[in-house]
Amino acid sequence: MTAAATLSGAGRPRRLGKALPSALWALILLTPAFVSLASVSFYPIVNGLYLSLTNTSLITQEQDFTGFANYAQLWGDAQFWNAWWHTMWFTFASTVLETVIGLGMALILFEAFKGRGLVRAAMLVPWAMPTVVTSKMFGWLFNGQNGIINYILLHAGLIDQNINWYGSADTAMTTIIIADVWKTTPFMALLLLTGLQTIPNSLVEAARMDGAKGWITFWYIRLPLLMPTLLIAGLFRALDAFRVFDLVYVLTGGGPADSTETLSTLSYKVLFSTLQFGYGSAVSTAMFITEGIIALVFVLFLVRQIRRAQ
Amino acid sequence: MTDMKKRPTADSKLVGHVTTMPVGHVTIADRRQFLIGAGTMGAAALALGTGLGIRKARAQSRAEISFASAAFFGKETFGDLIKAFNESQDRVLVKNIELPPPSSSTEVYQGLVQQLARRNGTPDVFSQDVIWIAGFAAAGWALPLDEYFPADKRSAYFTGTLDACTYDGKLTALPWFMDSGMFYYRKDVLEKHGGKVPEAWADMATIAAAAQKAGDIDFGYLWQGKQAEVLVCDAVEIITSNNGAILAPDGKSALINQKGAVEAIQFLYDTIAKTKISPQDVLSWDEEPSRQPFTSGKAMFMRNWSYVWPIAQDAKTSQVVDKVGVAPLPSFPGGKSSACLGGYQLGVNANSKQREAAIELLTWLSSTETQHRIALNFGLAPTRPALFEDAQIKKEQPFMASLEKVFTGATARPKTAQYAKVTLALQSGISKALVSGNVQAEMDALADQITKIVA
Repeated sequence: MTAAATLSGAGRPRRLGKALPSALWALILLTPAFVSLASVSFYPIVNGLYLSLTNTSLITQEQDFTGFANYAQLWGDAQFWNAWWHTMWFTFASTVLETVIGLGMALILFEAFKGRGLVRAAMLVPWAMPTVVTSKMFGWLFNGQNGIINYILLHAGLIDQNINWYGSADTAMTTIIIADVWKTTPFMALLLLTGLQTIPNSLVEAARMDGAKGWITFWYIRLPLLMPTLLIAGLFRALDAFRVFDLVYVLTGGGPADSTETLSTLSYKVLFSTLQFGYGSAVSTAMFITEGIIALVFVLFLVRQIRRAQ
Repeated sequence: MTDMKKRPTADSKLVGHVTTMPVGHVTIADRRQFLIGAGTMGAAALALGTGLGIRKARAQSRAEISFASAAFFGKETFGDLIKAFNESQDRVLVKNIELPPPSSSTEVYQGLVQQLARRNGTPDVFSQDVIWIAGFAAAGWALPLDEYFPADKRSAYFTGTLDACTYDGKLTALPWFMDSGMFYYRKDVLEKHGGKVPEAWADMATIAAAAQKAGDIDFGYLWQGKQAEVLVCDAVEIITSNNGAILAPDGKSALINQKGAVEAIQFLYDTIAKTKISPQDVLSWDEEPSRQPFTSGKAMFMRNWSYVWPIAQDAKTSQVVDKVGVAPLPSFPGGKSSACLGGYQLGVNANSKQREAAIELLTWLSSTETQHRIALNFGLAPTRPALFEDAQIKKEQPFMASLEKVFTGATARPKTAQYAKVTLALQSGISKALVSGNVQAEMDALADQITKIVA
């Protein structure tokens, strides 16, 4: 700033610079970023909110403001709540499993062993795969007729006849959760591994010198210090899991008997198959609100954690 | 003349058929300008220049319209078809708007709806899946065609297709090409079990169960139970073959909880739970997963579309080459065999500013000659029964020629402007019935839901 101030009196063009207060400069420089963000992020959200208050439909050609009529309909829509519960269950189950398994993987990969670099790189392969490819792969693994999972279970004597994993309302969702856990656990492991690396080794060493065994060290030193990372990783994962679409779309299309319908697939169907933009936007907004609440819960925990640490 | 015929081909190679027309103009005009300015015209150049000049003048006086369709491929494309039309006459010049392929049917639908909703007359002519016809008609986007195609012209088409093209008593689409559900059977296995193709569902179940019990085959009957559009097709067929219906004739209430429909869905449930002629897997299968066990020789009977035939006859992909037969689907006592109608039909934009030209293109596309060409070059079956007697089609597409009997029973899916909502309800409700087995209860709930949508 001092440099700018000294220079500013020197020539004519620089007077302009002086005339504009520095705050304004900052604003001007921020404008391009703001405009681009507003147009691709803020405007669609606001427009989506507005659409959810109308009966816009490309088929009936209506476009009238109807207030909260869509939300009233949503409240009594059994299909919506069915999808809402499935999505919540999917989010909860996949996030918990991925966090626990991911933590285990991170702890192992944190230890020094031969070929660690290779294993760390290999671990990321499932996460790097496009979800549609993962979906197809799990479609074949859990195929009711020729799937290897049935083959193994059958020959191990655990089941006495082939199970139709995606065709039964009891197993379809579980199978999708397994596919998601396989795909995204490496991501959790990676986040938690970086978290582990920020914990000063001296603390662990000190504990060991005091005679603490592995489990005690983990429970009283590493886990508490890892907590903020765990919460942030969990938040990322939960928000991401809540939007699950590709796995369901490719594997079951929401069936059988709506047992795997999630909010994303439901809103896709309402928005793009029936072209009811009004009601579909209401479904999306409800999704947005639920995600907001999930994020809020995580953030409250996180803030408490950080306060306690201070 | 030969010169003129060749030129557009050369141009289209450069610019692609989608934009052939406008770019062609510019190039031709520029070239002519250049030739005149140069003042060194040889005899050949003179002939070329004049030839192009005439073409340009003609083009300006031609009515310009546009045609939008899902992109099908074969020995040629729809772009080539449109080019052939442009060259066949000098009154109408058509611009081809290519939409995604039919496998991305939802995207094609969106693209078409967005254009039609603008009501600016583009595209003038379009092709549509049978299930969109009612919606487009109800929105007022499709021009009623009754005055252009009176009864005597219509009688040349399959009645089932005409029925699907009619909404609210008006013909709002013109049949183009079709497909339908059909009954595939294994000739060799059937030979051991009576040798007669079953015409009743009950006989089919008995034969299938016997063959399964004898160990001749793994699965008696394969169909598609995945919660998807194809489930609605399977349901329409079996319900109609029991004199049942999904919607009342006026389209204002549901009949799916009536006796005919419930019995039919019960039969589908029983194939898994009682007669066990179908594996439980059919509940998660759409077309391809059900086709694979059949062409690998594991199943005796199957309901599927016509695309299975070439796959079944290809030794690279099939274990059952020359062992497969096709027949109309069975029916219930007192009912008639029914095949769910698929395929694309033609429509004219009600806001088209070039109505006469649009009708001319429509007539040409659906004519005997063009349907003949589409059958040979795209492998898409004609909607005119007379073409199934055509010697060349019989020779080059023998399987297609054999489908006349199947297509005669073609039945439209529920005709309602709210089809998109109705089909989602049907997929969910029928899937629930097939999973739980509480057919009557689920159909009652479904009927309530559908009546609410269509009333």
